Amino acid sequence: MAVHSERVQTRSPLVGKDAVDPSQAAAVKGAPKNTRPAAGPGLLARSAPYLLILPAVAATLALLGWPLVKTFIISFQNLNKRQLIQHLTEWNGFDNYSDQLTNAAFWNTAGRSVAFTLVNVVLTMVLGSLVGLLLNRLGKNMRLLLSFALIMAWAMPIVASTTVYTWLFDSQFGVVNWLLSQLGWDSMATYNWYSGQMSTFFVITLLVVWGSVPFVAFNMYAGLTTIPAELYEAARMDGAGSTKIFTSVIFPSLRPFFLATTFLEVIWIFKCFTQVFTLNAGGPERLTETLPVYAYIEGIGNQHYGAGASIAVLTILILGALMAYYFRIILKQEDEL
Amino acid sequence: MKRQLIAAVGVAAMVVGLAACGSDAKKADDAAKPKDYNGKTLTAWVMDGSAPQTWQDGIKADFEKEFPGAKLKLEIQKWNGIGAKVTTALSEGSVDVLEIGNTQTAGYAATGGLLDLTKDKANLGGNDWAANLNNSSVFEGKQYAAPWYFTNRVVIYNKELFTKAGIAAAPKTLDEFYADLDKLKAVPGVTNPIYLPGQEWYTYFGLVVSNKGQIVKKDGDKYVGNLSSPEAKAAFEQYKKLQSYSNAPKDKDEATPAQGGIFAKGDVGAMIGLGWEAPAPKDMAAEKIGFFPIPGVAADKPSGVFLGGSNLAIAQASKNQDLAKGFLKLAMSDKFEGQMASTGLIPNKPSLNSLAVTDFAKAAIPASASGDTTPNIAAWANVENTPNPIKDFLTAALAGDYDAAAKKYDEEITKRLAQKQ
Repeated sequence: MAVHSERVQTRSPLVGKDAVDPSQAAAVKGAPKNTRPAAGPGLLARSAPYLLILPAVAATLALLGWPLVKTFIISFQNLNKRQLIQHLTEWNGFDNYSDQLTNAAFWNTAGRSVAFTLVNVVLTMVLGSLVGLLLNRLGKNMRLLLSFALIMAWAMPIVASTTVYTWLFDSQFGVVNWLLSQLGWDSMATYNWYSGQMSTFFVITLLVVWGSVPFVAFNMYAGLTTIPAELYEAARMDGAGSTKIFTSVIFPSLRPFFLATTFLEVIWIFKCFTQVFTLNAGGPERLTETLPVYAYIEGIGNQHYGAGASIAVLTILILGALMAYYFRIILKQEDEL
Repeated sequence: MKRQLIAAVGVAAMVVGLAACGSDAKKADDAAKPKDYNGKTLTAWVMDGSAPQTWQDGIKADFEKEFPGAKLKLEIQKWNGIGAKVTTALSEGSVDVLEIGNTQTAGYAATGGLLDLTKDKANLGGNDWAANLNNSSVFEGKQYAAPWYFTNRVVIYNKELFTKAGIAAAPKTLDEFYADLDKLKAVPGVTNPIYLPGQEWYTYFGLVVSNKGQIVKKDGDKYVGNLSSPEAKAAFEQYKKLQSYSNAPKDKDEATPAQGGIFAKGDVGAMIGLGWEAPAPKDMAAEKIGFFPIPGVAADKPSGVFLGGSNLAIAQASKNQDLAKGFLKLAMSDKFEGQMASTGLIPNKPSLNSLAVTDFAKAAIPASASGDTTPNIAAWANVENTPNPIKDFLTAALAGDYDAAAKKYDEEITKRLAQKQ
């Protein structure tokens, strides 16, 4: 999406140069280049850009950087409730890390997190792209209606939507079980969705995908509006069907969009805590814990803050590894430019 | 370049997920003794369901009269997730007096977060406290809290439904109880002969006690999980049988959803709970609600129970320790301790027992004789941390293989009991 606006920008000056408007040319000649206040009017003017980004940088450092540094430091400490209450600092080197790395529970949880992320990202991207394509083809009124529905899903606070889903799938009072039993599936009348690992993950996945689709759909739609209609026409003239148009026109044009959105979704879903924890607190029998939930339960719930911090750091490292491919592409493109 | 921006957004989004587990190491200033109490506020935490409103209003009035200028701020806390909250409060000194469950007191005493009250015990009236009820307040020979109240669970039943089912008298044995539940099952409109969620581990604990077993046992100088023992298994069979009369979820405890609210709907025959879980008069008429001890195998002795209770402790980091001791003395006085007794709780001294005359207390006090509690060791609190392995064990065992579940959760319990402090 972002890459698109870039292309539009680079094109517009070209268009301007092609059609030289005499009056405009005169104006350009007459006035000095005003793109940048280059040769130093004042200190203030020069530092203005830095001042402008200062609040954002300060907020990021205070709210993200500092806790990150603290978490990193704590991950090398034996910090439990006794140490916390008495304000003791007990360094224990890499003990927290070696405890986790030799713990089967950690590796099971890590594998589960990766699988969970994979399934959810694929579902989100496919469904989101399809909805985006649909938005592009709908008439004005239906598009408005669908956009409204998507915005509602996107804007709903996560805890609120999780509560709604919890009740939808409640074993005794849930509308889903009621509906299934009305449709003749009697054994589902009091089915407990939260009693099994897969059925709990089913509800979590539904919730996460439902909440993530709007972002992808809107991005897709925004991207689609930048593809000139002539490209479609040309493709059709050459005898391309819908699938061919998608693979040969839309996908190549929107490649940067797919890349950026997919990786944002990877990040968001991998670190997704609220839905997983609020729905069933990682149960049954801790079988739906993902890494962030595991870090919370070990760190805060069991009051082993050092161990929790080391899990959090390991989570970041795993996420970094998942993202390595993406960062490589970004850096490569950077070199080419 | 936009791509740099995307990369930056990526990095930022990645690290946003990191929870801050930090705490700033700041030492609490030593409390200077105030000459007068103007502007002083004493913060006391009591747990949801503990202190009746009359107690709260009364002690507030008396406290503010005895310490002119001082304010008492009573805060009601929920049991769920209380561990981390207490730790934070003890660390920051943001609470002065707090209620701590009897199974958790040793754990907090070991952290050094609680004020040593050994010298104040006599002044607080401690010489009259029942020795067995004071046990959990003592850790390594020192008094770290004052015993406040004790209680145990009984069967709370719907008298109307019992009459409809043709049950004339409260059952005396477990077999009679099962038969009564069968009768209740036959009454039209009864959804649950008994409401018993799968994770009601207090009831299971009591049954283990009456089977002369232990959930954890001492092995040399350490404690290990003991769910695989034949006694624990026999207790589980009784628990499973009772649970089979309930539609309650097998993967939830009695608090989610609150079983009192479900009982109040009027289509539930009975539930196993504490006095305060019985519906309030506005939800269900008091004359409809009856109580009897959980029957035992033989008629002469009810089933064992988990002896729950709470102690009141003072935070080591409190800046108002003299006020806190003053508050504690008031709470331990016959006037206020007696008010706890008159709501049906077991008071800390036998001389007040006669005040506990509610219907609930009449059922609960005889059963408390066969009650027991968890080992008074610092590591026990680890076992009760969410997710409580005993609760998960019950869910797993109800779903099928007892021995496999017992083995798995014995390992988890043993691991938690061995965790470094």
